[in-house]
Order: sequence, then structure tokens, then C-alpha cells
Amino acid sequence: MYSNKTKGKKNQAPFGFIILIFAIGFGVFLNSLSDVLPFYWITGLAFGFVLQRSKFCFAAAIRDPYLIGSTILSKSLLISIALTTIGFTAIKYGSYINGETIPGQRLVINISFAIIIGGILFGIGMVLAGGCASGVLMRTGEGFLTQLVALVFFIIGSLWGAHDFQWWNENFISKGFKVFLPDIFGWFGALSVQLFFIGLLYILLDRIELNRTEDLDD
Amino acid sequence: MNLNENKYYTKWFKNSWSYVTGAVLLSLLQIATLAVTGEPWRVSSTMAYWGAWILETIGIDVSQWFYFDIEGGQEILKGGFLKDPRSIRNLGVIIGALFSSLMASQFRIRKIKSKNQFILAAIGGLLMGYGSRISLGCNIGGLFSSISSLSLSGWIFGIAVFIGTIIGSKIIVRFLI
Repeated sequence: MYSNKTKGKKNQAPFGFIILIFAIGFGVFLNSLSDVLPFYWITGLAFGFVLQRSKFCFAAAIRDPYLIGSTILSKSLLISIALTTIGFTAIKYGSYINGETIPGQRLVINISFAIIIGGILFGIGMVLAGGCASGVLMRTGEGFLTQLVALVFFIIGSLWGAHDFQWWNENFISKGFKVFLPDIFGWFGALSVQLFFIGLLYILLDRIELNRTEDLDD
Repeated sequence: MNLNENKYYTKWFKNSWSYVTGAVLLSLLQIATLAVTGEPWRVSSTMAYWGAWILETIGIDVSQWFYFDIEGGQEILKGGFLKDPRSIRNLGVIIGALFSSLMASQFRIRKIKSKNQFILAAIGGLLMGYGSRISLGCNIGGLFSSISSLSLSGWIFGIAVFIGTIIGSKIIVRFLI
């Protein structure tokens, strides 16, 4: 780590500008292929930029309260979920009252044994690899070879999962059920319930951290 | 021109932003994504296609797998990487992070330190890949985007991931001692 110190201090911004020129050029090329691709390219770049700049890591947000008792990133994730919920609900509600198809309903996923097992495997995996899907992509961009290995094996694991998907679908996923909260609580009710619950979780996480720092003071 | 003396360069590109700044900007990008594309941000659903395309180059055809019959999979497979919007977005995340780390002079090839680290990364990657396919989502699609879509599945997936991290933490502690 220390042997690279001088290397780390070297100004790399000129290479950044080269990457920026490449990114713009690639965007122009994508624009010649289709209208939608440049939007995905630009938002992808922006997601990567924001994740790296703020060191935002979803794996750490879920792992750290248990592993090291730190909840600051988890609370930030809750803020992000709350804000995104408000925006998404506005878009969905807008489509609903205008009689259009509600967008993004594909992510109202069937609740079944498969998402529980899948979630547990995913959780174990991200602790072992030290990052989840977005984190692995981001750290590959920062130059972490370990995360590149994780990315390669993520792809292999995805293929394995895709291979077994029919079995999981027949036995569990297809027998599952979807719960879209507005169907139960109404639009305003669903938004309120969710924001209230996020607020509760925030307070809970805050208390965990407070208790911990008080313990350290003793 | 010395960039390091420029106040705005230091503020925007050199110093890390706060987590809350990141959280707010991620939300904004999520909302823009749903508004324009009709679908929230997803990351892991693309990975199986990357695998399928790699296998295709060595002559293995997986297009008859049931998985590739859902969500317009056959079209995506035929179209290839350059015509798949989600693949382009994932590449964007890598290049965006590369750009950001170069601008801050933080890019460095970090070598794998030990055999253990390699094994952990490989097993971790495999488990994440498999888990995300059978649950149809990762921390982004299955958790962040699903919860924000007012879907109960997101919360349940989140609890499962949390349980997984407890198990994973125990494994890693045992592995390292």
C-alpha cells in the first residue's frame, strides 16, 4: 500500500479528461444506433460517478449495522429510499389517474421462498466479496482486481442461476404472490405507511449507534 | 494551471461527497430513470446475458434455457451487448467510476493480496450471481428499486439479505482467524 504512495499522488486528471472524451464519443456513437441507448449510457456514467464520489456502497449499508455497528450509511440509504419512493409514487400515481399503464410494475416481484433463499445467498456473497453488484462494477472502475474477480464469478453465478431458474420458477416463484402496497392501503395510505416505517427504522438505527458510542465512552 | 488549487475542482472532483449528497443524487437519477425508461434502475439482471454472450463466442448456445424466455430475453440475446440498454448502463457505471477516480487521482490497480482474498471474491461472486437470478434482483433491482416501487417483495428481500450478511460475517470472521 505504502509503496504506491507517490504513484497515488500523481495527477491523473488528464487521463480523466481522456476518458471523458471517450465517453462523449461513445455516446455519439450510441446515438447513431438508437434513441434510448444514450440515456442509459449517461445515467450509467452518472450512477458510477455518484457512487464513487460519495463512496456509497449498498453492501456496507446492509452489512455494517451488524458487522461493525456503524449505521451512517444505512441511514443514508433509508433517506434515498424515502426520496425515491416519493418520486416513483408520483410517477406511478400520475399514470394511474390518467388511465395509463403504471410503469415499473415488473419490479413488484412475486413473494416466494425463492426471494428469501436468493436474498440470503446474495447477502452471504456480498459480505465475502466485499461488495454487491453496483459496488463490484464501481470498484472494478477504481482498479480493484479483487472486484474484477468477483464480477467474473458474478457472471458465472448468474448463468448457473439462469440455468436453474426454471426449477425455482416451477416450484416456488410461480406459486408466489405479488403485494403492491397501494392495492392494500390506497395510494396515499401506502406512501404514508412506507415513509412512517422508514422513519421508524431510521430512529432504530440511530439508537443502535448512540448506544454503541455510549458503551465505548464507558 | 494547477487544478489542486482550484476551489471548485477540489470540492466537486477531489474531496469525497457526503453519503447524504450521494443518497439525494441517486434518488434523482432513479426518478429520472423511471420517468424516461418506464423501469427503475437494475443491475444484476444483465449479468446472465453477459455470460450467455461469452458462451456464445465459444460455441455454446444457451438460448433454449427457460430463463431467456422471460422479459423479452430472446430479443436481448439476439440484439447483443451494444443494443442492450441495461448492459450499456452497467458499462457506464464502470466507466463513470473510472472517470471519477481518475479526476480525483485515486485510480490505482490494486492487486489481489492473497489466495484467501481470491477465493472469497470468487465464492462471493458466485453466490451473488446465483442468488440474484433466483430472486430476480440484487441490492439495486430487488431492494432499492423494489421497495421504492411500493412492493412488499423489496422489504422481504431486504430482510433476507440482512440475514445473509449476518451469516456471511460469521463465515468471514471464522475464515480470517
